[in-house]
Amino acid sequence: MVTPRLGHDNLGLGVGLRSTHYPYILDNEPDVDWFEIISENYMDSQGRPRYVLEQIVERYPIVMHGVSMSIGSSDPLDFDYLDKLKALAEVVDARWVSDHLCWTGVAGRNTHDLLPVPLDEPTLEHVIERIHIVQDVLQRRLILENPSTYITFAQSTMPEWEFLTRMAEETDCGLLLDVNNVYVSSVNHDFDPVEYVESVPHERIVQCHLAGHTNMGTYCIDTHDGKVIDPVWELYRLTHKRTGGISTLLEWDANIPPFQEVHAEVLKAKQHMSDQLTSTTTSEDASSIVSEKDDAPSHAIPQPVVFVGAEVE
Amino acid sequence: MSTGHELNVVQRWMQAVITNPEGIVDGVASEAAQQEIALDPATIESFILPSKRCSSIERLSVYGNAYFARLIECLAGEFPTLEYALGEELFGDFALTYLQDYPSTSYTLGNLANHFVDFLVNSRPQQEEGEEPQWPDFLIDLSRIESIYSVVFDGPGEEKVELISAADLQQIPAEKWGGIRFNFSDSFRLEVFDFPVHEYVTAVRKEESPEVPSPQKTWLAISRRDFIVRRQSLSQLQFNLLKALLEGATLSESIEQSLNELTHEEAAGFDELAANLQDWFANWTAAGWFRSLNCD
Repeated sequence: MVTPRLGHDNLGLGVGLRSTHYPYILDNEPDVDWFEIISENYMDSQGRPRYVLEQIVERYPIVMHGVSMSIGSSDPLDFDYLDKLKALAEVVDARWVSDHLCWTGVAGRNTHDLLPVPLDEPTLEHVIERIHIVQDVLQRRLILENPSTYITFAQSTMPEWEFLTRMAEETDCGLLLDVNNVYVSSVNHDFDPVEYVESVPHERIVQCHLAGHTNMGTYCIDTHDGKVIDPVWELYRLTHKRTGGISTLLEWDANIPPFQEVHAEVLKAKQHMSDQLTSTTTSEDASSIVSEKDDAPSHAIPQPVVFVGAEVE
Repeated sequence: MSTGHELNVVQRWMQAVITNPEGIVDGVASEAAQQEIALDPATIESFILPSKRCSSIERLSVYGNAYFARLIECLAGEFPTLEYALGEELFGDFALTYLQDYPSTSYTLGNLANHFVDFLVNSRPQQEEGEEPQWPDFLIDLSRIESIYSVVFDGPGEEKVELISAADLQQIPAEKWGGIRFNFSDSFRLEVFDFPVHEYVTAVRKEESPEVPSPQKTWLAISRRDFIVRRQSLSQLQFNLLKALLEGATLSESIEQSLNELTHEEAAGFDELAANLQDWFANWTAAGWFRSLNCD
């Protein structure tokens, strides 16, 4: 019997910490439930980002979310990276540490993208082995997120939700269900997002991500540059119902508005949590949305883009 | 039992394809990709599935388009003034070549630009001996100062350490001044530029649309206080004095050395130094440049 959320607290409604909001957060101490940080932006910092984080840690629960673990890579794990990750988690008293089911590079390179793995038995075995190693180093369960993906491999033998389920059950790791990514991938790969959400092991979902994306007409890109669209909220309502409530976080990484607007967007989740589930989104629905809304900028860049610029007098 | 390619082969193939600057079709045809998995546009669907609305090539292009765009955006974030001076397109061309020569090997984008200044220096057209600094030197100076700003901004600093104060200096007996050695703050940097790039950077950040300045030897102290990067222009004499101190010389040794390094035209330096030395140290101490001092 697995405890809901693997025993983790439901932290409520959180916001991804971004440097553009530092002054507002420090000056106003907004009534946000928790913050998620991009781990790599703070692991080596000895300047203002780390200083701001230390102050925020005193007031808010912190969750660490990484983009460079590369759990699915065929390159060796980077133990220097893992040691730094562990050290930061201890310093900020991270409630949990998450990353993505992906690889970011091979042959010593880092593309800084979240690249998809073939969903087959050898890859599953490989990822499971590496999760065990990471969890041994971190001395805690790893939480892994479903990424937005844009290709599928012919050699894949199972749907992503099955891969995630078997991976989580074999390793006892947790899941971060990004319902926007489920939606984006469902449009890109012609699957039913409701079936996906219904099929993942709900008791292992520790956290949920919400975000906006960009509709490119024939596919979607996970750009984190706007509000959450209704079909994604519907998937969120389903997730809430199936899990009984989980820590929920909004990511907004491009064209970032003032903090209050970002916070207001995640607070909409309250209404969705209290609503009855009245409708569902199918792959056909997703298809019609693609054809209705064709506002794609030509420069849309999938997340992650995480760089903190210098502040100079 | 899988009938697919091994994971490392799949990943080396995909990385070769999506990081090819000429695009996905050329990436698939490239030697690096072909030696992993021999595919062509006609057979690629046997490996990368199409969707209802997109071909396999179109789907791979999402990753291919994003790879350079994402990293160029990050470089532009670190070098906003250089991008302004070059223009978005030319900056993008330099960044694209740089990323091919120096692909990221780090878990953090904070290290992406580690070789960028050297790359620009090595890209500079050959210079005649004794030639005045030119446009390429201005660009190199800009890249240097923005790189230094980034390093100082997120590197070690003294915000949590008690630094020496003007009062500490005043307590030192006059006869001991000559033997003082200063330990500088970790963030403190002394830099020389061929152009007043610090003023240009500030003007661009204030959106003042500055003109490219004429060459002018510029001596700067760059440091961090209260987590903000600060820069202060120096006279050559001040620079020489601080440089000698930074290298570990005593104050009297540093004064002698810095005066000796002045050119004939600047020989009035002794008077300048004698009149201002006390004020200089008061200001430099207030700026937080000195962590501690020792007296011989």
